[in-house]
Order: sequence, then structure tokens, then C-alpha cells
Amino acid sequence: MASVTASSVKFSSVSCLIKQNQLSNLKKASLSFTGNGFQSRRLPVLRFRVACAAKPETVMKVVDIVRKQLALPEDRDVCGESKFSVLGADSLDTVEIVMGLEEEFGICVEEESAQSISTVQEAADLIEELLEKK
Amino acid sequence: MALTLNAIAFQSPKRPSFTPPPLPTAHRSPTLCMASSLRSASREREVETVNKPFTPPHEVHVQVTHSMPPEKVEIFKSLEGWAEDNLLVHLKPVEKCWQPQDFLPDPSSDGFHDQVKELRERAKEIPDDYFVVLVGDMVTEEALPTYQTMINTLDGVRDETGASPTPWAVWTRAWTAEENRHGDLLNKYLYLSGRVDMKQIEKTIQYLIGSGMDPRTENNPYLGFIYTSFQERATFVSHGNTARLAREHGDMKLAQICGTIAADEKRHETAYTKITEKLFEIDPDSTVLAFADMMRKKIAMPAHLMYDGRDDNLFDNFSAVAQRLGIYTAKDYADILEHLVKRWKVSQLRGLSAVGQEAQDYVCGLPPRIRKLQERAQTRAKQGPRIPFSWVHDREVQL
Repeated sequence: MASVTASSVKFSSVSCLIKQNQLSNLKKASLSFTGNGFQSRRLPVLRFRVACAAKPETVMKVVDIVRKQLALPEDRDVCGESKFSVLGADSLDTVEIVMGLEEEFGICVEEESAQSISTVQEAADLIEELLEKK
Repeated sequence: MALTLNAIAFQSPKRPSFTPPPLPTAHRSPTLCMASSLRSASREREVETVNKPFTPPHEVHVQVTHSMPPEKVEIFKSLEGWAEDNLLVHLKPVEKCWQPQDFLPDPSSDGFHDQVKELRERAKEIPDDYFVVLVGDMVTEEALPTYQTMINTLDGVRDETGASPTPWAVWTRAWTAEENRHGDLLNKYLYLSGRVDMKQIEKTIQYLIGSGMDPRTENNPYLGFIYTSFQERATFVSHGNTARLAREHGDMKLAQICGTIAADEKRHETAYTKITEKLFEIDPDSTVLAFADMMRKKIAMPAHLMYDGRDDNLFDNFSAVAQRLGIYTAKDYADILEHLVKRWKVSQLRGLSAVGQEAQDYVCGLPPRIRKLQERAQTRAKQGPRIPFSWVHDREVQL
């Protein structure tokens, strides 16, 4: 199960990178990435991650929906890294969270994708990917 | 209800003298069994195993045992009088019972061969997908040894010797005897029908009895009787539907067979729900906690470990056909749960502890949640693939 999650996250990151390559600010990075000599420019790891992560507003909306579904107390911290299972979600809760996200964002989540979501960040990333496709 | 693993339970000095002797040391630590094929998203702790050829998939959870506090065994002892007067009445005297022969061609009659011919002609009109579900139901019934065993794992009500005179043991043996006719009847019908591969079916039964079942009832009669209440109603619904479909396909005799089995299951459902109703009356807190626990764990179907030597997803595939034909569906699951919540008046329970109230809320709120999920799944249902079933000589059936 964990390996499926990791590869699905990687996939959405890679697809982000492919799209971002069309933007000028990453062109230089992608050239050096294809091996024409690294020279002094390194692909900044932080920028890589930020370019592919979901918008903070999306993450916040996911957090709200998760809070509501699991009836979490105000003082319980929920952020991108939060794992649904650790927050107390059972399999029924997780499906209902996904349903809530579908309604909120007007998207349709495939069964296989739904099963690979285990954190708030993963949910937010998937949402943005589906919104971009629309 | 606190889950107590073996090690803790055995250290209790307060065990009444009639409880069974401790299990050997090997069982003290929870055993982790492995699966050769995992089904869709289960967040339980399961580990992949080395793939041995012809190994039935066995997806068994960490085995929790004796989760009922030992002092509660007394409750069941004190209910023996009640059981004698209120439970055994739901058994039918053998002299009044139907037997499989009542519904099958009579071998001692001259007309036997004609009767068999008629049976086979009627069966020809019934499609493969129906037979797949009927076979799955028959295989389930034929794994009866597992169910008698499971009931005899329950603390306080088990048949300690195989001939125990307690009303609980009398019930269990007589219940087993009644159920035994179901498998026999369906087996003979399927054998005579000529529509199915009996050897593959027989193999499936051997695998299934060998694999057992994992209902997660933890030797706990509160969990056990909730499980059996749910299951008897599920089989009643399922056989009622196979009866209806048989009628639609023009086989009145088969409809009668399925309907007769369904009537038995209804009677058994009445008995088990009555036991649970009594438990709600005398110990509402433990019982509502047990109900929530079983529903969170989800009611596992008795034949969930079925395997035919070829299909690692046999149970899932069989279930998909049963769902498509409307014989046993996710909607039925929600309906059964809702029925039981109403039957046991769970919403009206009073004097519950804080965790008891939480359990009450969970159980009462569960049916609509399941319905919503099921409706969503319906609207998105894509047509399933056609896959071969060894039970029908590898002919393909639509999932």
C-alpha cells in the first residue's frame, strides 16, 4: 500500500514538472537537466517541490473538509503532512472525505486515485491535477 | 469493550471454573496471517506472503481472542433457563422438517429418469451468471463445519463436549442439523442439473473448509450473536432473491428449493435477533459497543476465503455477479443494518456510558452513510469485464 502511494505522488510531481517546463522560468533548469552539461546551475530542489505542490488555498479547503468529516477539535493540528489514518479516519471516512472534495471542487475522482490518497497534501495535489485537466 | 489479547486474559485469576483450559503458549502472541492477493483498499494490518502455488488467498487479521471479560460468562449461564423457554422454540422437530429428498427426483421411483430429464431441461433455461451465484451460495452452505466451529468458539455458550445438555449447546447442534440440509439439497440439485463443473465446486468446498472464516468475533458471544443475526438475515435475503429469479427463469421447483431454504434462514434470524435483543435488555452498554465494533470491522461474508485453485479473486468476482443480479447487494447490506438498528431499538437505549453513546450514534448514523456511498457507486458503475468461472467450465460471465 505504501509503495502505491509513493509512486502515485511521484507521478503527479513528474506531470507537474512536464507542464512547468513550458514556463520560461524553468527552461534553463530543464536544459541542464537533459544533460547538456550541468555547469554551475543546479536544479534547486526546493523550487522543484514548490512548483508541483498544490496551492495553499486548496490545502486549506481540504483541511476544512477533513476537520468537518472527522469532527476534530479546534486545537487538533491539521496540515499538509497529516495522515488521514492518524487523524482517526477509517475507510468509510476516507471515502466520504473524497466525496466531499468532489462536491467542493466539482471534480470526479477515480476509484484507483481515491485509494492512493493518504494525506491532506496528496488529496490537494490530486485535486489540482484534476482541475488542470478540466 | 476493551480488546484483551491472550496474554492479558490468561493472567486473570477470576476465571470461573467451567471456562475452557488456556490455549497452548503458541497462541499467546497474535498470529499474523498473510495474503497472496490483497483486495481493494484495506487499511488493516496485512502482510504479503511468498506466493505458494495453489495457496488459497487468506487475508486474516491479527487474531484477537477472548475479548469478553471473564465475569460476563456468568450472564450466559444465568440465561440458560431463558434460552430453554425462548430460544429452543424456534427449532423445528425433525419429524416435521422437510428433507432434501422432498425436492429432488425420487431414485426409488420408476419415474426417476424422467424427473431428472425434466430437471435438466428446466436448468438449461437458466443462464450461467445465475448458476455462478447459486454455486457460491451452495459452497457457502457446504462450509457448515466452519460455522458450527465458530459458534463453539464463543465463551459461555459453546458446546463443551459435543453432547452438552445446556440449551445453548442443544440449540447449536440442532441449528447445525437444520442447516446441513441446505448444502445437501443444493449439492444434489447442482449435480443433477448438468450445468456446472462439480469437481471444481467440490474442490472449492474443500479449500473453503480448510481455510475457515475470520468473522473477528473474538470468542465473544456479544459479537458472535450480532454476527449471526446479520448473517441469517443476509442469507434469507439472498435465497429469497435466488428463489424469485428462478421463478422468472421458469423453474418453479428450483424456486421452491430456494424459498424453502430462505424460510429456514428467516426462522434462524428470528432466534438470533431474539438473543441479541435479550442482551440489549440486560446489558445494553456492552451490546451496543459490540454492535458498533462489528460494524466498524464490517461483517465479513462467511465464504470470504473461497478459492477454486485458479482464481485468486474468486470471492470478489462471485460477489460482483451477485451484486449485478440483485441477489445480494450493497443496498441489502445497508437495509439489513437499518433493519437490525430498528429491531433492537438502538436509538431508544438509555443509561449508556459515554463510549456507549458514541457507539449508539455511530450505529444509528451508519445506514444513511452506507446508502449514500452505494448510490454514488451505482451512478458511476462501469460495466464490468466478462471473466471465466471454473464452476461453469470456464465459460465467461459478466461481472
